[in-house]
Amino acid sequence: MSLYLFLTLAILTIISALAVVFSKNPMYSVLWLIVCFFTIAGHYVLLNAQFLAIVHLIVYAGAIMVLFLFVVMLLNLNADTEPHKSNLSKIASAIAAGLFFVVLIASIRATALGEFNLPNKTNIGFVEEVGKKLFTDFLLPFEISSVLFLSAMIGSVLLAKKEKK
Amino acid sequence: MTTLLYTTCLGLFCMLAEVLNLRKLLIPAVILGLSAIFVVNMQQWGITTPASIGSVSLSHMVKMDNFAIAFSGLAIVISILIFVLAANYYKDDQNHISDYLSIMVFVLCGALVMFSYNNMAMLFLGIEILSISLYIMAGSRRFDTRSNESGMKYFLMGAFASGFLLFGIALIYGASGTFELEGITKYIAAGEVAPMFYLGVTLLLFAMLFKVSAVPFHFWSPDVYEGAPALITAFMSTLVKVAAFAALYRLFSHCLGGTMYYVEPLLIIVTGATIIVGNVTALSQINVKRILAYSGIAHAGYMLLGVLSSQTNAASSVFFYAAAYAIATVGLFALAIMTFKSNFSENVDAFNGLAKKNPVAAALISIFMLSLAGIPPFAGFLGKYYIFSEAIRNGYVTLTLFAVINSIIAVYYYLKVIIAMYSQPANDKPMVVHPTYMVVAIICAAATIGLTLVPDMLMQILK
Amino acid sequence: MSTSIDYLALAVQFMVAAGFVVTTMVATHLIGPKRKTADKLENFECGIESKGNARIPFSIKYFLIAILFVMFDVEVIFMYPWAVNFRELGQIGFMEMLFFTGTLLLGFLYILKKGALKWH
Repeated sequence: MSLYLFLTLAILTIISALAVVFSKNPMYSVLWLIVCFFTIAGHYVLLNAQFLAIVHLIVYAGAIMVLFLFVVMLLNLNADTEPHKSNLSKIASAIAAGLFFVVLIASIRATALGEFNLPNKTNIGFVEEVGKKLFTDFLLPFEISSVLFLSAMIGSVLLAKKEKK
Repeated sequence: MTTLLYTTCLGLFCMLAEVLNLRKLLIPAVILGLSAIFVVNMQQWGITTPASIGSVSLSHMVKMDNFAIAFSGLAIVISILIFVLAANYYKDDQNHISDYLSIMVFVLCGALVMFSYNNMAMLFLGIEILSISLYIMAGSRRFDTRSNESGMKYFLMGAFASGFLLFGIALIYGASGTFELEGITKYIAAGEVAPMFYLGVTLLLFAMLFKVSAVPFHFWSPDVYEGAPALITAFMSTLVKVAAFAALYRLFSHCLGGTMYYVEPLLIIVTGATIIVGNVTALSQINVKRILAYSGIAHAGYMLLGVLSSQTNAASSVFFYAAAYAIATVGLFALAIMTFKSNFSENVDAFNGLAKKNPVAAALISIFMLSLAGIPPFAGFLGKYYIFSEAIRNGYVTLTLFAVINSIIAVYYYLKVIIAMYSQPANDKPMVVHPTYMVVAIICAAATIGLTLVPDMLMQILK
Repeated sequence: MSTSIDYLALAVQFMVAAGFVVTTMVATHLIGPKRKTADKLENFECGIESKGNARIPFSIKYFLIAILFVMFDVEVIFMYPWAVNFRELGQIGFMEMLFFTGTLLLGFLYILKKGALKWH
């Protein structure tokens, strides 16, 4: 049962990810990306990481996708301004990415799974467990991330605020 | 840990200054604050109290060892010098002064995390804080398309590199089951290293090589350096480069030393390529910022020699080299900004006849250029000497010979500017001199010469 | 102890909801009569002939608000695991969160001062 669920989700994820890349219209790319995010959230649920799944839906499929749509609307999509890329660079990047893919698959296949001891708990991805980890072991990264937020806030105001002249 | 805390507070203060309308006080306050933080930072020297907040231990996240303290000190000094320059550079942009300053202080925060991280999560956060702040600063001149291009290019490439970094960390975690540097070291020492782990190390290395702009991950650096505002270029080519190198060095000296035999061939090729591509491409450039970008790439190559030697404690050599490079570059930029502003041009010919217009500035520029080229008696020469001898001690004789030949090639493009200053006729544009730039340049020149007087002391500190 | 199987009901409900939307849309499309003329397919602009193009770049102000929203959205997400563990984390946990939100409150003050949320 779990295996079939995983396979269905995995196939859907790959199809929607490919559709993001191959859609001619950027709007459709963004919509396919939403589908992709939903299927990834499904994977999180299968891995018993409910908190992450919900956060993924709220932040990525919700908020970030709105930003993506805004960016697409900010672009000038009328003129065919897409620069033509040479075939050479396409072939080179396809070969490079393909080789990387082969290495990736080979190295993960060669790794015997189950080498390290999984913590003997099934509720590891639950919100209580995540909270306990976050506010004890990972306290410093949590606090430091506020600096990242501040920097991003100042930056967005600095770059996007209309000047009074 | 306290250093990081106070620096964060200083960044918050910069933001508050905007809210409370204290813009006039801002730069003196930041410089004073950073000087105080420098003192606090140095007081921790040799004391290894584990970091904690209240009863929560943080020692598995950060470790303020002497390595971190030394590099933090260097980073704070560089920042102070840059902030002194900012006083005049942003004189006409008072509306945004607190934005710029707070973001630059946050860049310093990111760098401090990168010096002291003891956990992969902290490494990632440090790099992200540093990079995201820099993307903004590179594009901060909003109505200049080249600045926009610079910010956008840096952002797209940097985001890609961060992706590799995360993927690498994820694979390392998947294989070893831990984020902590000690845990990963133990995992490698235990012998049974999974193939997945090596792929993680490779990806992590790629991301770090991107951040230090090593060949073939260097393509962003000339364009970004050229388009960004000159002060930010100075910031990027000094503080950020030092931070990226310290993080890369720490990665191999504290954690991935056991995989050195695996990354060695890759690192040797990258080092050789970085040195030659940086130096040879710099020969044909006419824009001074681009020359310095390629020179920065070449210097990254020399510092990679230090990373190759990380198993025999080359930290002192890398520190000395980084200090000599960064201080000479800050001084050079101080005078170059002045020249750019006077001539409305960033090309080499802006320096034409500078020796007649302002002999002091010309002499100082010559000192910095010769130091960067590695000519005795300046600090750059000693830096190269230490790095090269460290590399030879580790058996990289051919590579070192190659580096020496290339540093002779490098003399050509550094001399190009000196020749323009001394033997070209002066143009009619007057040189506008501002004391803050001269003060910074003189301090840097004094340090460039002064560092050579106490090399033994500096070489012992990180042993 | 709940596992992913417990979410099956949720998945079924999700499929029913999505299925309902898809079915009604497809059905109305198939059942309804269609008489296509050029005039009827024209974009409707108050009966006036349409001018120009709908794809004009729109104001950056929307984007600024949206990106600031995302920032505070993520901040609030951190509160959820904190609130669930509120009792166990005790006073230290409270101080931790106070520091985090305090920092971001400063950011909010800064945004207000800069007038980034003002529309005109």
